[in-house]
Amino acid sequence: MKLSEAIELLTSTYQSLDAAALGLPVDAKEVADALAKANPDSAEYVALQALAKVNPYENTKKEKVIQNDDTNK
Amino acid sequence: MALPNKVLPGFSATLYCQPTATPTPLTTANLSVYASVSPIVITGNLIPVEAIPAFGQDDAMANFNVAGSRQSDKIPTQAAPTSMTITAAWNPADTNLLLIRGDAYSGTVDRTFVISASDGTGIVNYAFNGRVGQFTVDPNPTAEAKCTFTIHPRGNQYGWSNNA
Repeated sequence: MKLSEAIELLTSTYQSLDAAALGLPVDAKEVADALAKANPDSAEYVALQALAKVNPYENTKKEKVIQNDDTNK
Repeated sequence: MALPNKVLPGFSATLYCQPTATPTPLTTANLSVYASVSPIVITGNLIPVEAIPAFGQDDAMANFNVAGSRQSDKIPTQAAPTSMTITAAWNPADTNLLLIRGDAYSGTVDRTFVISASDGTGIVNYAFNGRVGQFTVDPNPTAEAKCTFTIHPRGNQYGWSNNA
Protein backbone atom coordinates (compact mmCIF):
# COMPACT_ATOMS: atom_id res chain seq x y z
CA MET A 1 0.00 0.00 0.00
CA LYS A 2 1.20 3.51 -0.79
CA LEU A 3 2.15 5.60 2.24
CA SER A 4 0.03 8.52 1.03
CA GLU A 5 -3.04 6.26 0.88
CA ALA A 6 -2.39 4.98 4.40
CA ILE A 7 -1.98 8.54 5.73
CA GLU A 8 -5.18 9.65 4.01
CA LEU A 9 -7.06 6.73 5.53
CA LEU A 10 -5.71 7.33 9.03
CA THR A 11 -6.33 11.08 8.99
CA SER A 12 -9.96 10.61 7.95
CA THR A 13 -10.94 7.70 10.18
CA TYR A 14 -12.88 7.76 13.45
CA GLN A 15 -11.48 4.37 14.47
CA SER A 16 -8.63 3.69 16.86
CA LEU A 17 -5.45 4.73 15.01
CA ASP A 18 -3.42 1.88 16.51
CA ALA A 19 -5.98 -0.70 15.40
CA ALA A 20 -6.38 0.84 11.94
CA ALA A 21 -2.61 1.04 11.41
CA LEU A 22 -2.29 -2.71 12.00
CA GLY A 23 -4.17 -3.35 8.78
CA LEU A 24 -2.10 -0.99 6.62
CA PRO A 25 1.06 -2.62 5.25
CA VAL A 26 3.57 0.13 4.46
CA ASP A 27 7.33 0.39 4.09
CA ALA A 28 8.95 1.05 7.48
CA LYS A 29 11.81 3.14 6.06
CA GLU A 30 9.40 5.28 4.08
CA VAL A 31 7.41 5.88 7.28
CA ALA A 32 10.55 6.79 9.25
CA ASP A 33 11.71 9.22 6.54
CA ALA A 34 8.30 10.87 6.30
CA LEU A 35 8.03 11.12 10.08
CA ALA A 36 11.37 12.93 10.26
CA LYS A 37 10.14 15.54 7.77
CA ALA A 38 6.55 15.93 9.05
CA ASN A 39 5.24 18.92 10.98
CA PRO A 40 4.68 17.74 14.60
CA ASP A 41 1.43 19.71 14.83
CA SER A 42 -0.34 18.05 11.91
CA ALA A 43 -2.74 15.16 11.40
CA GLU A 44 -0.18 13.54 9.06
CA TYR A 45 2.35 13.42 11.90
CA VAL A 46 -0.17 11.71 14.22
CA ALA A 47 -0.98 9.18 11.47
CA LEU A 48 2.73 8.55 10.80
CA GLN A 49 3.34 7.99 14.51
CA ALA A 50 0.64 5.29 14.52
CA LEU A 51 2.21 3.68 11.43
CA ALA A 52 5.72 3.87 12.92
CA LYS A 53 4.49 2.09 16.03
CA VAL A 54 3.48 -1.01 14.04
CA ASN A 55 6.23 -0.65 11.40
CA PRO A 56 9.39 0.05 13.43
CA TYR A 57 12.40 0.90 11.29
CA GLU A 58 15.92 -0.03 12.37
CA ASN A 59 18.95 1.20 10.53
CA THR A 60 20.77 -2.15 10.27
CA LYS A 61 23.58 -0.67 8.19
CA LYS A 62 24.64 1.59 11.05
CA GLU A 63 24.55 -1.28 13.54
CA LYS A 64 26.87 -3.39 11.36
CA VAL A 65 29.46 -0.62 11.30
CA ILE A 66 29.46 -0.43 15.09
CA GLN A 67 29.76 -4.22 15.45
CA ASN A 68 32.80 -4.42 13.17
CA ASP A 69 34.52 -1.47 14.76
CA ASP A 70 37.73 -2.72 16.43
CA THR A 71 39.15 0.67 17.29
CA ASN A 72 36.98 0.92 20.42
CA LYS A 73 36.13 4.53 19.60
CA MET B 1 4.44 17.79 20.31
CA ALA B 2 6.08 17.60 23.74
CA LEU B 3 3.98 18.40 26.77
CA PRO B 4 4.89 21.45 28.91
CA ASN B 5 7.63 20.20 31.21
CA LYS B 6 6.23 21.66 34.41
CA VAL B 7 3.47 21.26 36.93
CA LEU B 8 0.67 23.70 36.17
CA PRO B 9 0.30 25.55 39.50
CA GLY B 10 -3.37 26.19 40.07
CA PHE B 11 -4.61 25.71 36.54
CA SER B 12 -8.19 26.17 35.46
CA ALA B 13 -10.10 23.77 33.22
CA THR B 14 -12.82 24.89 30.85
CA LEU B 15 -15.22 22.93 28.67
CA TYR B 16 -15.88 23.94 25.08
CA CYS B 17 -18.11 22.38 22.44
CA GLN B 18 -18.10 22.48 18.67
CA PRO B 19 -20.72 24.96 17.40
CA THR B 20 -23.75 24.44 15.11
CA ALA B 21 -26.61 21.94 15.35
CA THR B 22 -25.08 19.54 12.80
CA PRO B 23 -21.34 19.53 13.49
CA THR B 24 -18.73 17.40 11.76
CA PRO B 25 -16.59 16.06 14.59
CA LEU B 26 -12.81 16.05 14.24
CA THR B 27 -11.28 12.78 13.08
CA THR B 28 -9.25 10.73 15.55
CA ALA B 29 -5.92 12.03 14.20
CA ASN B 30 -7.05 15.66 14.28
CA LEU B 31 -8.13 15.37 17.93
CA SER B 32 -4.39 15.28 18.77
CA VAL B 33 -3.50 18.30 16.63
CA TYR B 34 -3.41 21.62 18.50
CA ALA B 35 -4.05 23.62 15.33
CA SER B 36 -7.24 21.64 14.68
CA VAL B 37 -8.51 21.74 18.27
CA SER B 38 -7.70 25.36 19.20
CA PRO B 39 -10.36 26.92 16.89
CA ILE B 40 -12.97 25.24 19.12
CA VAL B 41 -11.39 26.76 22.24
CA ILE B 42 -12.98 30.22 21.94
CA THR B 43 -15.30 32.14 24.25
CA GLY B 44 -18.30 31.64 21.96
CA ASN B 45 -18.08 27.86 22.39
CA LEU B 46 -17.74 27.88 26.17
CA ILE B 47 -20.16 25.76 28.19
CA PRO B 48 -20.89 27.45 31.55
CA VAL B 49 -20.31 24.42 33.75
CA GLU B 50 -19.87 24.57 37.51
CA ALA B 51 -17.01 22.08 37.63
CA ILE B 52 -15.29 19.80 35.16
CA PRO B 53 -15.96 16.19 36.21
CA ALA B 54 -13.37 13.44 36.17
CA PHE B 55 -12.55 12.27 32.68
CA GLY B 56 -10.57 9.39 31.26
CA GLN B 57 -11.31 5.73 31.05
CA ASP B 58 -12.20 2.73 33.14
CA ASP B 59 -12.06 -1.03 32.83
CA ALA B 60 -14.73 -2.72 30.78
CA MET B 61 -15.89 -6.30 30.66
CA ALA B 62 -18.09 -8.43 28.47
CA ASN B 63 -20.31 -11.14 29.94
CA PHE B 64 -21.08 -14.28 27.97
CA ASN B 65 -23.79 -16.68 28.99
CA VAL B 66 -24.30 -20.20 27.69
CA ALA B 67 -27.77 -21.66 28.13
CA GLY B 68 -27.69 -24.47 30.68
CA SER B 69 -24.20 -23.60 31.92
CA ARG B 70 -23.79 -23.07 35.66
CA GLN B 71 -21.46 -20.11 35.27
CA SER B 72 -21.10 -17.26 32.79
CA ASP B 73 -17.82 -16.09 31.36
CA LYS B 74 -16.34 -12.66 32.07
CA ILE B 75 -13.88 -11.50 29.42
CA PRO B 76 -11.89 -8.29 29.98
CA THR B 77 -12.17 -5.94 27.01
CA GLN B 78 -10.59 -2.64 26.04
CA ALA B 79 -11.13 0.06 28.65
CA ALA B 80 -14.28 2.11 28.16
CA PRO B 81 -14.28 5.93 28.24
CA THR B 82 -15.84 7.46 31.32
CA SER B 83 -19.19 9.17 30.85
CA MET B 84 -19.24 12.69 32.24
CA THR B 85 -22.22 14.04 34.14
CA ILE B 86 -22.00 17.81 34.16
CA THR B 87 -23.96 20.43 36.08
CA ALA B 88 -24.40 23.96 34.73
CA ALA B 89 -26.45 26.98 35.73
CA TRP B 90 -29.54 26.80 33.54
CA ASN B 91 -29.80 29.77 31.23
CA PRO B 92 -32.53 29.14 28.62
CA ALA B 93 -30.92 31.75 26.35
CA ASP B 94 -27.44 30.20 26.31
CA THR B 95 -26.76 29.00 22.76
CA ASN B 96 -24.40 26.21 23.78
CA LEU B 97 -26.71 24.80 26.46
CA LEU B 98 -29.48 24.75 23.86
CA LEU B 99 -27.15 22.84 21.53
CA ILE B 100 -26.49 20.32 24.30
CA ARG B 101 -30.22 20.01 24.94
CA GLY B 102 -30.83 19.43 21.23
CA ASP B 103 -28.11 16.75 21.19
CA ALA B 104 -29.74 15.02 24.16
CA TYR B 105 -33.11 14.90 22.38
CA SER B 106 -31.47 13.55 19.23
CA GLY B 107 -29.09 11.11 20.89
CA THR B 108 -27.18 10.57 17.64
CA VAL B 109 -25.31 13.85 17.21
CA ASP B 110 -21.55 13.35 17.42
CA ARG B 111 -19.80 16.51 18.55
CA THR B 112 -16.22 17.39 19.46
CA PHE B 113 -15.78 18.61 23.03
CA VAL B 114 -12.59 20.10 24.40
CA ILE B 115 -11.44 20.38 27.99
CA SER B 116 -8.79 23.06 28.02
CA ALA B 117 -6.50 23.30 31.06
CA SER B 118 -4.39 26.41 31.40
CA ASP B 119 -2.23 28.18 33.97
CA GLY B 120 -2.29 31.38 31.91
CA THR B 121 0.53 30.54 29.48
CA GLY B 122 0.68 26.75 29.09
CA ILE B 123 -2.43 25.20 27.54
CA VAL B 124 -3.19 21.49 27.46
CA ASN B 125 -6.25 20.41 25.48
CA TYR B 126 -8.08 17.11 25.87
CA ALA B 127 -10.38 16.77 22.87
CA PHE B 128 -12.91 14.00 22.41
CA ASN B 129 -15.99 13.18 20.38
CA GLY B 130 -19.13 12.40 22.30
CA ARG B 131 -22.89 12.16 22.35
CA VAL B 132 -25.16 13.72 24.94
CA GLY B 133 -27.36 11.13 26.61
CA GLN B 134 -29.34 13.00 29.26
CA PHE B 135 -30.50 16.54 29.95
CA THR B 136 -32.56 17.55 32.98
CA VAL B 137 -33.39 20.91 34.53
CA ASP B 138 -33.67 21.25 38.30
CA PRO B 139 -36.09 24.11 39.01
CA ASN B 140 -35.66 24.03 42.81
CA PRO B 141 -37.02 27.40 44.03
CA THR B 142 -34.52 27.59 46.91
CA ALA B 143 -31.54 27.89 44.56
CA GLU B 144 -30.75 29.01 41.04
CA ALA B 145 -32.02 26.65 38.35
CA LYS B 146 -29.48 24.10 37.26
CA CYS B 147 -29.29 21.76 34.31
CA THR B 148 -27.54 18.42 34.33
CA PHE B 149 -26.40 16.57 31.26
CA THR B 150 -24.25 13.52 30.52
CA ILE B 151 -21.71 13.30 27.72
CA HIS B 152 -20.79 9.80 26.60
CA PRO B 153 -17.40 9.91 24.84
CA ARG B 154 -17.07 7.68 21.76
CA GLY B 155 -14.52 4.89 22.11
CA ASN B 156 -10.96 5.70 20.91
CA GLN B 157 -11.98 9.15 19.70
CA TYR B 158 -9.84 11.36 21.93
CA GLY B 159 -6.55 13.19 21.73
CA TRP B 160 -4.20 15.39 23.71
CA SER B 161 -2.46 18.46 22.39
CA ASN B 162 -0.68 21.48 23.83
CA ASN B 163 0.73 24.85 22.90
CA ALA B 164 4.32 24.35 24.15
